[in-house]
Amino acid sequence: MATERKQIVVSESPQLWEKSTRRDFMRLMGIGGAIVFAPSILASCSDNDDLTGPNTGDTVTIDFAKGDVAVLQFAYALEQLEADFYTRVAAAFASSGLSAAEQTVMADIKNHEVIHREFLKTALGTTNGFALTPVYPGVDFNNRTSVLNTAKTFEDLGVAAYNGAAQYLTTAANLTVAGKIVSVEARHAAAIRDLLAPKTAQFSPTAFDDAFSPQKVAGLAQGFIVDKLAFAGTIPTFVQGPNNNG
Amino acid sequence: MENATIIQSLDPELMGPIVSRRDAIARGASASSKVIAALALGSVPIALGALARDVYAQTPADVLDVLRFALTLEYLEADFYTRGVAATGLIPAEDRTVFTQIRDHENAHVTALQALITGKGATPGAKPAFDFTAKGNVAGFNFGSTQYTTFTILAQAFEDTGVRAYKGQAPRLMGDKAILTAALTIHSVEARHASEVRRLRGKKGWITGNSRDDLPAFTQGIYNGEDNVTQGGVDISSLGTGNGGTAGVTEAFDEPLTKDQVLAIVTPFLA
Repeated sequence: MATERKQIVVSESPQLWEKSTRRDFMRLMGIGGAIVFAPSILASCSDNDDLTGPNTGDTVTIDFAKGDVAVLQFAYALEQLEADFYTRVAAAFASSGLSAAEQTVMADIKNHEVIHREFLKTALGTTNGFALTPVYPGVDFNNRTSVLNTAKTFEDLGVAAYNGAAQYLTTAANLTVAGKIVSVEARHAAAIRDLLAPKTAQFSPTAFDDAFSPQKVAGLAQGFIVDKLAFAGTIPTFVQGPNNNG
Repeated sequence: MENATIIQSLDPELMGPIVSRRDAIARGASASSKVIAALALGSVPIALGALARDVYAQTPADVLDVLRFALTLEYLEADFYTRGVAATGLIPAEDRTVFTQIRDHENAHVTALQALITGKGATPGAKPAFDFTAKGNVAGFNFGSTQYTTFTILAQAFEDTGVRAYKGQAPRLMGDKAILTAALTIHSVEARHASEVRRLRGKKGWITGNSRDDLPAFTQGIYNGEDNVTQGGVDISSLGTGNGGTAGVTEAFDEPLTKDQVLAIVTPFLA
């Protein structure tokens, strides 16, 4: 089984750390409308020049048989998305319509997200690391409202993702690290919301934040990721948070 | 930099009990979380005690102790904001929406924690009497109409403390997924409050280094240790290069406090 995975990964996409099993891969291809056998056609699957929309690229499988590593990989996926987004935002500051004060906030958040990404990259190492390709359909980096609303989506999703994934961690050290990150994401979320609707109740619309299952988070994040997110292994039954919407 | 520390190898001897306990926890927890959801809507299910006892983990005493500890902190915050919002002329009109929202959240947290404690077959402690002068450290503070700046300083102190307090207790809840998740959804709301209050005060929403900023010296314990740059056993200060430097690294991670550290911070506020 492991050999099968490696054959597909290494031959098709060196930057991805793992593919699904051959059976999963073929099933995914079947859903996509193509049954693939020829190596030449397989090779085209990793050609992102042709496949740039969400959910059109290579499959990135997070295998819950890896335990805590899977949770950290999942976090790494989200931090890659956030870090890339804010890096693009910062690169477009001049035309973004964001005020100087708002740019200061966004630059801080960019720094934090890049640090989160690099920290998780280091923690996971080359064996468990991978690189995603983000994409932002409908997002206008030259439009303040578009940028801030997208940032709000990512920060709220990050909070809900960490809150929901914590129950799958089995070591206190990893839970603490996740806790150290999630509260900073929540600080970001409130700040972004405050920029959009200053001094309203929007900074924290509910008394309990959301806690989303990994599957729900993946479904929401997929709209911004070219690679196909997939899970393997058994994900234990999700225990809902107070909002019961995960 | 080595990657071994954060991804600690899982102890095979631990995995058996964890996996076998998981089913029992999950069975009880789906019901328990419905109870919590009901509480969020304001109802108080009678059957809560029986449900919560089903999800007992290996350390029920820990879970109950954490719930009682959290309730004390929430009582403090709820009482503070309730009195603040009720005080004539204290909070400017433009800031009242924010503090009313925070007050409502802290009251909701109190109600939820009381119910979770009841659900564990225990009796929630009564609300203590509080001294918001902190034994004279905030001399003369009585929610007076000229004391808004002091009010916001205390609000920041309580919110930044709350974030660190919940974070420090999370590992003690690992055996009870429903309560762990509930606590985390409060933890991140406290962080939203902290960010908003700091921004209302003209500060960054996040904590840089171990700076208490313009808060009085007796609050320094709230910020000690926030300058940590070792995460997962690895010094990550180099990750700040081009990303805000050491300041950025410390901002990117909030740090936990132990129960004793939190008690040292809040004890002056207990009458």
